[in-house]
Parts: sequence; structure tokens; C-alpha cells
Amino acid sequence: MKEIRIPTLARVEGHGNITVQIAKNKVQKVLLNIPEGPRLFETLVVGKTPSEVVNIVPRICAICSVSHRYAAIRALERALEIKETKATNALRTLMHYGEMIESNSLHAYLLALPDFLGYPNAVAMVDKYAPAVLRALRLKKFGNSIMEITTARWTHGENAAVGGFGVTPSKQQLLDIKNQALALLPDAEETVELFRNLHYPTSMEEGMTFMCLKPPTEKYGFVGNSVLISTGQEAPIEDYLKLTNERVVDHSNAKRCSYNDKPFVVGALARMNLLGERLHGKAAEAFKRCYSLSWIRNPLYTNLAQVIEILFCVEQTPLLIDQILKNYDKIVTDSKIQKPGGGTGKNVGAVEAPRGTLYHYYEVSRGLVSGANMIIPTTQNLDAMETHIRVAAENLLKSAMDSTQGKKDMDLTLEMVVRAYDPCISCSVHVVNLD
Amino acid sequence: MPEKPKAGFYNLSGCSGCLLTILNCEDQILDIFNGANIVSFLMANSANIEKDLDIAFIDGSVTTDEQEEFVKELRARTKKIVCLGVCSCYGGVQAMEYEKNTWSARFKKVYGTKPPTITKPFESRPVDAFVPVDYYLPGCPIDANQFLYNYARLLRGLPVDIPKTPVCLECKWRENECLLLKNIMCLGPVTATGCNARCPSVNLPCVGCFGPADEGNLTSEFNLLKEKGFSFPEIERKLRMFGGVKFVNKFKTMWKKVKK
Repeated sequence: MKEIRIPTLARVEGHGNITVQIAKNKVQKVLLNIPEGPRLFETLVVGKTPSEVVNIVPRICAICSVSHRYAAIRALERALEIKETKATNALRTLMHYGEMIESNSLHAYLLALPDFLGYPNAVAMVDKYAPAVLRALRLKKFGNSIMEITTARWTHGENAAVGGFGVTPSKQQLLDIKNQALALLPDAEETVELFRNLHYPTSMEEGMTFMCLKPPTEKYGFVGNSVLISTGQEAPIEDYLKLTNERVVDHSNAKRCSYNDKPFVVGALARMNLLGERLHGKAAEAFKRCYSLSWIRNPLYTNLAQVIEILFCVEQTPLLIDQILKNYDKIVTDSKIQKPGGGTGKNVGAVEAPRGTLYHYYEVSRGLVSGANMIIPTTQNLDAMETHIRVAAENLLKSAMDSTQGKKDMDLTLEMVVRAYDPCISCSVHVVNLD
Repeated sequence: MPEKPKAGFYNLSGCSGCLLTILNCEDQILDIFNGANIVSFLMANSANIEKDLDIAFIDGSVTTDEQEEFVKELRARTKKIVCLGVCSCYGGVQAMEYEKNTWSARFKKVYGTKPPTITKPFESRPVDAFVPVDYYLPGCPIDANQFLYNYARLLRGLPVDIPKTPVCLECKWRENECLLLKNIMCLGPVTATGCNARCPSVNLPCVGCFGPADEGNLTSEFNLLKEKGFSFPEIERKLRMFGGVKFVNKFKTMWKKVKK
């Protein structure tokens, strides 16, 4: 028995490694090992007030901290029968766009692009690809600026609370964001062109099932109370346990998920496969230019899907801000924090995190949380990642055994597969459900 | 020109928010990478070399045997270890139940009777529970400006310089109305400053995410909150959230003075 090991996965959040076991010139077993240390978040939120829960849970993962906050807020507001006002919804949508722009540019440009261009990191690309690196930093900074004005910090800002916002961003702050978005539109378009023209390896291709939240309107979006599945079904988010079927495995501190005993995929690629037709404007044109049937088989297209989402968010931001400014005084009044009602109830809430569908579930009893569950996008994607790693390893094994270059290509491809899913390993480990 | 200091950036158990804060310094990121010889930064770089270091930055707390071995090995080859954020400094939110003896039961509740065997996990502890630490930059996450100022100092061989004062100082500078006067439980008086009083500036109470301030009067805060009608367990629960091991140790020296 021989083994191919990638001992530490780089340019991902958290710690993982890959083992490919080989016998008789065949791939026997593929393991995506997750040794990241557990933190037991579901047990930490028990005994806390809803507002304390919203302080704690973003700390599951910095890169999707806004999505964790938003998912927790949605679940707790549904549990406590607090109705989200239109004003609060508009500001939350803006904050969510901020995270999508920041996280997707961090991943696409800083974590994934160096593989395609042959560099160890994005800073090293500056000599040859300065315009691309600077464009990445402009977009990323813009995403952070939106989170700064809506949540009061780039990461773990507390301004978005259960029931509303501590303060509403000022008119001037909103106008600044709108003007920045308009100025950055060419950057977002060039980003799509850059990623459209990359060479996407195909050795890992395998058809997959996709899932994402169904937005409440006919438009593209990142929240919803039901789940679309690429096999044609639709299910309410209350069925989240049946949709994800978590299980413990020995080689990973992160649990695993499957649907109908098969791997499935969540994230930007799933959203584009299921909702791409709903896009408008430049994002719709970009989608038509880029989309092909390879998107249902090849996880590397997640990178291209993510940059189309950046374009979508940059394009939508000025429209959203115009809406907010049109009724600014009413928005200020209506987005103020509403006091929680009865203090007892239970429910699930879900949002699309940049890397996929994120479910939070809480039971609240007389003002304190008595039970919780969170199902994380990376946990949902791990089986699919392992499948694609296996397919790539099988296809590349012969050349990997024949030459050093072949082995190098295989290592890189396996890492690219994992990176394409934009995994948040902290998330996947620190969040596992209570039995 | 003198040789650039060799630096490494590492993360253990945490949300990676402190390393993300560094990558979020979009205007300074090229200088951050040029100012030192960064030999290891797994989150952002794939060609990492593990060798002797002048400075190691650690994000995250120690929660497995592998991580414990790693910090010992890192200490042996590093001149200065800098803890970034309340996880590596004090154990982080995952240490909020520190010394309450609840960890084993909670671990079993999460993983069931057949837990993974890939590592030996234990309750979160800060880096200095295992090896000596040279400098601490608290926060959840760290503040970008505080990091940039101290990064520049460290690269010049100067010690970390952070204020010992509580959040209230910066809150007064921003001329915010005091939330304690409105009977809202704010941890500003006992929490280390450095965030520019972000939460009170948006009408929300300080949650204590920079951990206990060296110059904060914990006894007085407890007694003040008691007078305002908050219960002892409620106050302790809030202070444990981000204060972790530092709060628990500080608390041991003063709890008798607190009106129960």
C-alpha cells in the first residue's frame, strides 16, 4: 500500500490534509482529514440570551461572520416572532452584499488565483500582475467598507442585532458607498473577464447535486425560507436535518453531510446553477457569457461563479442605496431595535454564506437559549470535495507514478479542488450538532 | 541594509479573524509582506518554510494535543512570540466555561459516544498555559491600527505598546452618552481599550471583546451592576464570554470583595 499525502492544505481557512491510499496501481481510499481543534459552540450558546448568542456565534468564523450573525438573527427572530421590517431588511441586504464582495474577492483573487497563475501567494504576483492584485484589494476593501458602516467593524461588528440596528448608517456614509460602487463597476467587470479566461483543469469532473436557498422574490439573492435542489425538489428550511443528514467520521473533527446518501454541493456554484437565470443587467450578461454545462461537473468554476456574484453585488449596491435614501427618515425609525416578544419559541433560520447554505436553529425558553444547532456549508461540501479528489486522483495516478512533474500536477490539482470550495474549516469543526 | 526579520503567522483553534484583519489591511498589505521576510503564512501562502524565526504571530487557542506540541516546537525556534486576539491571549470564547468542569460532558453531547480519533482534544487554553509568551495583542478580533503600529515596532526590535486603560476612556473621547447611566449592562469600565469604543458608539453595550483591562476596577463594576439590579450570575456570564482564563484568574483575587 502506498500513500500520497498533502500534509497541510495552504490558502484555506483552518487546518486540513489529504491522504490518497494506493494499492495495485489503483486509488483505494481518499481521506480529507480535518484535525482542526473543536470549540463546541452549540454548547456555549446554551443559557445565553438571544442578544448574547448573536455576540458569540459570529466568532465561529471570521470570514463568514456576517452570515453567521444574520442566520442567527433570522432564526431567533422567527423563534421569538419578531417581524423584520422592510427597513431592517434593506440594511441587512446591504451588509450581506458587503460580506459577499469581501469574501468572494479574498477567495477568488488571494486564495485561488495564485494556483492558476503559478504563484505561492497573491502578493508575489504583484511584479507581473499588479493591476489584478490592486483591483482585488480595491474590491476587498470596498466589501469591508460596507461591513464597517452597517455592522460597525470589518469583522464581528455588533451593530446588526436581533430586532434591528443599533444605529442606521448616515446619508453621507451611504452616498460614499454608492459612489464607490459606481466607480468599482469596471473593476468587477474586468474581474469576470480575468476569471473567464483562465484555464480550468478537468481531471476532477463528476456530476453533482446542488442546493441553495430560494430567494423570496423572482430575483437573485442570498436569503430564503426554502431550499431548491437541482434534482427538482423544493423543501422548507424546517427540513434542514433531512436535507443534510450529518454524521461523525473518524478522520475528521468536522462532521459530514449527504442527501439521499449522496454528496451534494452548496455555494456560489450551486447558486449560479440554480438561480443564474434570475440575474439582471451586467451580471446576467456575464452569466450568459461564462456559463456552460461544465458548471454541473467541475468545482473549479466556483471561482468564476464567485466573481459573477461580486459583479452582481457591486451592481445592485447603488440601486439598494437609492431605495434606502428615498425613504431615509422612515428607514432610520423602522430599523431601530425592536424589543423581543414572548421570550419562548424555537425555529430555524438560514442564509447563503459566501461558501453556501448556513442553517442556525435555536430553542429559546423564557428569554434564554436552551438548545441550538448549526449546519455549516463546508460540512455539507466535504463529501463532494472527497469525491472530486478521488476522481482527480484516479485520472492523474498514472502520470503521478511515472514522473515528478506528474506527481506535482496531481498535488496541485487536489489542492485546487479543495480550495475551489472555499472551505472554512474553523466553521466546519466548531459547529456540529447536539444529539 | 540589515536583514529583514523572519516572521511567521499561525492559527490554532479560532475563527482566523485576527489573521483576516491583517489581510484586510488592503492599503498596507504589500508593506506588511515587504517589511519582514514572511517565511510562513499558511492561510495566504502555499510555499511555507518552517525554520528559526525572529517573530511568530499566533491566532487561536490551544485545544488539541497536536497544537500543544506545535506551540512547544514553535517556541523552541522563535525569538519573540506574539499572541493575536483573545483566543491565543486568554483562551477565547471557547474558554468561557474555563474551570467549570463542563467540558467533557459538552464534548460528548456534540460528538456522541464515538468521537473522531484524529486528535486528542481538551478544553481551550491560551498559548501561555503551555509556553512563555512575549507579547499580547488582545481583541476579538485585533484592531487593525493597533496591529499595524505594533507590527512596525516589532520589526524595529521595539516591544509591543498597548494601552492598559479601559474602553470608557475612548468612549468619552467620542463623547458618547454613557450606557450604564441608562441601566444597560456595559462592560466598558473593565474591558481593555483599542477598538475606539465601537459598540457604545452605535448605542450598544461593550461586550468585552478585548478581554479585561489591566487598569479596570472589576470589583467596582460588579458592585455597580449589582446596584443597578443585575444578578451575580448574569454579570459573571457576560464577563466570561471574552475574558476567558484572564478573567477567571483576575476574578479569583477579588471575588470576596463583591457583594453577592
